Amino acid sequence: MNKIWKKSLELALLVIVFLVVIGPMLSLFLWSVAQKWYWPSPLPQTYSLDYWAQALGLKTSLAIGAVSIVGAFSLSLMIAVATVVIAMLIAIPAGYALAKYKIPFGTILLFLFLLPNAFPQQPVFVNILQTFTRIGLSGTVPGVMLIHILVGLVYGVWITNATFRSIPPSLEEAARSVGATGFQAFYKIALPLAAPGLFSSAVFVFLTSLDEFTGTFFIGLPFINTLPLTLYSSSGYNMQFASVIALLLLIPSVVFMLLIQKVLKAEYVGGMG
Amino acid sequence: MTTVHSSSWGERKLPPYILMLFPAVAFMVVMYLWPFITSVAQSFFLSSGSDKSFTLANYVKVWELYRKDIVFTFGVTLFNTALVGVVAVVFSVYFRLRQNRVSALLSAIFKLPIFIPFVVVSQMMNSFLAPHGLLNTALAQLGLVDLQRPLQLFNFAGLSFGFAWKQIPFAVLIIHGGFQMIDNSYIEAARSIGAKLPSVIVRVLVPMNKSSIIVALVLVYSQIIGTFTLPYMLIGGKTPTTITVDIAHRVNYFRDFGVANALGVCSYILVLATAVYYLRSKVKEARQEVSR
Repeated sequence: MNKIWKKSLELALLVIVFLVVIGPMLSLFLWSVAQKWYWPSPLPQTYSLDYWAQALGLKTSLAIGAVSIVGAFSLSLMIAVATVVIAMLIAIPAGYALAKYKIPFGTILLFLFLLPNAFPQQPVFVNILQTFTRIGLSGTVPGVMLIHILVGLVYGVWITNATFRSIPPSLEEAARSVGATGFQAFYKIALPLAAPGLFSSAVFVFLTSLDEFTGTFFIGLPFINTLPLTLYSSSGYNMQFASVIALLLLIPSVVFMLLIQKVLKAEYVGGMG
Repeated sequence: MTTVHSSSWGERKLPPYILMLFPAVAFMVVMYLWPFITSVAQSFFLSSGSDKSFTLANYVKVWELYRKDIVFTFGVTLFNTALVGVVAVVFSVYFRLRQNRVSALLSAIFKLPIFIPFVVVSQMMNSFLAPHGLLNTALAQLGLVDLQRPLQLFNFAGLSFGFAWKQIPFAVLIIHGGFQMIDNSYIEAARSIGAKLPSVIVRVLVPMNKSSIIVALVLVYSQIIGTFTLPYMLIGGKTPTTITVDIAHRVNYFRDFGVANALGVCSYILVLATAVYYLRSKVKEARQEVSR
């Protein structure tokens, strides 16, 4: 009897936990397909994919807060791709150097790349805004890109550094001993071996850029409307629209993170968006 | 000695790592370190007017206008860190000790919130916790809530729900990883001398996994202090609100960078202890890897 009691208690707790975790996601999904949902009905009265069609520009709408998000989506994508390319071009050599060379003042350099995770970043964005306003970069795409590169670079350097660290130095030394230059050893040996880790790092930087809100909020508004900012501005007017955008951001994040999770340390993934 | 050195200096090439590190380090100094330093420095100067002398006026204003919000931020953060710590340890223990289909399903579902960005979590909570949102209507169906007087959750409670929803799974990921390192024989040994489950948890599992629990709590704590999206979309300008929301208001409505920076410094002070712990443990970790 006691055992049955315990079992059903465990099951009840699990159901509650399940509902608590799933509930908010369910709410998002229901809103995105709700054609009519009048209070106090617990579920929408009519369902349709209209808001998806409108958001994706397949259908025009006159509803308040309804804008095609195709523009915001392509802008976000463009910024994210550019951010990945630039951030990785900077991060790969740095991550490699930190992994393979004994660098004087290495601790200070390490500090530089750890600080953004130790302290709130918002005051930094505020001060970048001041500088960018002075030099005409605030409210511009390059300005927003610089912010996204800043956010992504830190993770890029950490992940590439950990990747190169995991490659035994003896392999490159062997290449050097048969006459390869330092660059050849890097290009022919280290780089192919590191490719999966570097790819994961690039995917992660891509997602941080796609989901970045706080920095873009300060530097980009009101002229640069990325997907997360469009989500924010429509959430006050149009629940359906905001939910569609939120799901459009959620899907790539979850799918890609599940793909690359093995390569990532737990602490990287906590600070996203 | 000196002559050998000075002669070799002239011929020595620049080490290759200088060139490799330069772009990243230069970028970080210009785009992070410099704004970080100015955020502290600017808090001691007025952002408008011609008076450019050292002043504490910004901090006086913070004290007059925002001391409640600072207490609120600290309260939300402490409460959630404690809540996340307790709940995450319980679930990590559960996942460690019980491996069946139900726990496997649950641990898969637990992964989702970790990977969902804060801006999406904010929108979720915005719709889920609303007075007419799914939570209230579902509870009303069960007869737990009167829909004429729905739960008002765009405050401390809702913010805590949102943070807990996102951060408990994250903490479980770290803490459970630590528990998996503990060999079964320790648990069996404690059990064999008659220890009940609670005392196995408190006396064996938690002390052996102290370091990963602390790391999880440090990360959760500093992330909550610095999070802007969730409080901004959930509470916004209502009082009391968080420091991050106040900073945004100060900048957007008043262009008052002085007070915004003073508020920023307050948030730096709130995370000072965890930041020092985090930096020290990371540097120690890196040194160990080098010496290996």
